[in-house]
Amino acid sequence: MSVLIEVEGLGKTFADSSLSLSPKRPPVRAVDDVSFSVMRGETLAVVGESGCGKSTLGRLLLNLIPPTEGRVVFDGVDITRLPKGEMRRMRQRMQMVFQDPFGSLSPRRSVSNTIAEPLVSFGLVRSRTERRERVAELLAQVGLPSAFMDRKPRQFSGGQRQRIGIARAISVDPAFVVADEPVSALDVSIQAQIINLMQDLQESKGFSFLFIAHDLAVVRHIADRVAVMYLGRIVELGTKAQVYGAPHHPYTEALLSSAPQPDPDRRSDRIILSGDVPSPTRIPSGCPFRTRCPIAQPICTEERPPLAEASAGHSVACHFAEAFPITRRRSAA
Amino acid sequence: MTGPLLEVKDLTVEFGPKRAPIRVVDGVSLTIHPGEAVGVVGESGSGKSITALSILRLVPEPPARVSGSVLFEGRDLMAVPKGQMHRIRGKEIGMIFQEPMSSLNPVMTIGDQIEEAILLHEKMSRAERRARVVDLLRLVGMPDPEQRLGAYPDQFSGGMRQRVMAAVAMACNPKLLIADEPTTALDVTIQAQVLALMLDIRKRFNSAIMLITHDLGVVAEVCERVVVMYAGHVFEEADTRTLFRDSRHPYTQGLLRSVPTLTSTQKRLHQIEGSVPPPGTITAGCPFRPRCSQRMDRCATEMPPLVTHGDGHRAACWATAPKAIAQGEAA
Repeated sequence: MSVLIEVEGLGKTFADSSLSLSPKRPPVRAVDDVSFSVMRGETLAVVGESGCGKSTLGRLLLNLIPPTEGRVVFDGVDITRLPKGEMRRMRQRMQMVFQDPFGSLSPRRSVSNTIAEPLVSFGLVRSRTERRERVAELLAQVGLPSAFMDRKPRQFSGGQRQRIGIARAISVDPAFVVADEPVSALDVSIQAQIINLMQDLQESKGFSFLFIAHDLAVVRHIADRVAVMYLGRIVELGTKAQVYGAPHHPYTEALLSSAPQPDPDRRSDRIILSGDVPSPTRIPSGCPFRTRCPIAQPICTEERPPLAEASAGHSVACHFAEAFPITRRRSAA
Repeated sequence: MTGPLLEVKDLTVEFGPKRAPIRVVDGVSLTIHPGEAVGVVGESGSGKSITALSILRLVPEPPARVSGSVLFEGRDLMAVPKGQMHRIRGKEIGMIFQEPMSSLNPVMTIGDQIEEAILLHEKMSRAERRARVVDLLRLVGMPDPEQRLGAYPDQFSGGMRQRVMAAVAMACNPKLLIADEPTTALDVTIQAQVLALMLDIRKRFNSAIMLITHDLGVVAEVCERVVVMYAGHVFEEADTRTLFRDSRHPYTQGLLRSVPTLTSTQKRLHQIEGSVPPPGTITAGCPFRPRCSQRMDRCATEMPPLVTHGDGHRAACWATAPKAIAQGEAA
């Protein structure tokens, strides 16, 4: 598999730019020195809790917001330094699916206008008839009848709206799709429908898929590789089997053991982390996870562990990554 | 065994005109025993939250019309004068809601809010009350409780606010704690803390818990018994293991198979077709019929009754009901 996107040393700091006279709020370090690549045709999931920077990372990858440092190389082109016009042409190859399909669909526009907007703006349809044909095709691909074309978004359920959002994203046949929590607002019985749909489309169209989510079970189902984020940094990155089967970072382990499972017989040797995630305005020195880490040592306060390869394709940012997973470490102790 | 703590019988909640009522809760019956943790599971529109609010008499009438009975320790809460309900809410029945910010007073310190809950229901000196507030905050895992008494809700994170809510709910050692999606807005590591706290509270005070949620994982973790609701009806009721291992309702079965887990190996998720019907759109027969893979002619006209499948296991489905019962009901 070849590389589609190369992310190098990407960082984003949001400064308080308000003109109000009240004291400026401290800058928020949302993404901090993140490097990884996205392969062609793969599904890479970014998982983490709220405030970990996963949504900001998704927006940086699409160049919807400029990075504070670092670069994003899309198919050989550094898109963070691209002139406006060229970036616009590039956008045809990258699309986004949002969490709240209602918030991302204009209530005044018909379904057909919403879905066809990227097609029209990139000049991919010439006539009204061609446009309607394409929209009907796209509706069929996401499992909706073409009769829905002339309706407004409010006439649809959450699941149907998400289908419309997906139809719009795939309309321009993108090489890269970012989906930010696409199923977390949906009812349980609808989640499975949308996950299956996205999987089918990804397989048939072969786009690279960045799937941002907090639900570990959903990620495990859909992803090829997984990046775990904490306070703006990737703390673990590997194949699904590596991250779920043999997690090396204590945070990944804690996340996996915290997720309630629909299995009444699961033994509960849960690692309950104490305290809350620190504010991204005051990221701890050294390892950002050390304030909640059950195995933190003095070195963790002083030195930030780099994201380093623990085995082929499996990277971990922890001073003690080589040691056993903590569950086993604890029982051995 | 002592009698049930809570017995809801044939609870129905309607909105809209009498001629064409929109029934959001339709003949719900459920029982909770002292010290028991019961999960009420359902998707949006299942009526699970309205059921809880009706038990507390917090559904405004009008516009709603509530009927049926709610026996709490044998006393019918539906017959209690409105003005007396506040003696029961907070003292006998504690409440935790999904969004603590909308239940906490933003301009009152958390210490005063917890103290108020005690003041309303217990005779204690001020010093005793203050000591109890600190105890409660310690119980819910608030670090430095003495220092945090004077803080306001917006000075806390979501998880910490939910702890303050739990402290208010537990202020008078209620016999029943109703928690409506208490961890839905929380991150998974914080959710684990709050769930552990609820189990701890229950162990210490032997409070019963009615946990309303859409999350099957949370239910499996916390509850002994589960009630599954759909479109205002109870579809199935069983002890947790039986429900997860031997469900007798196609909806429950479909739901369980459609959720990805950390151990499942399926390539594709099972999917229930269609979506939850908006309230009031299905007036006859079983509301799950349009989405059901096992539907029969009869489902279009008659809502199946809850039929016993084993000890405490009941399901409302014509397709899975034992033959004798299904035929007997028709007679």
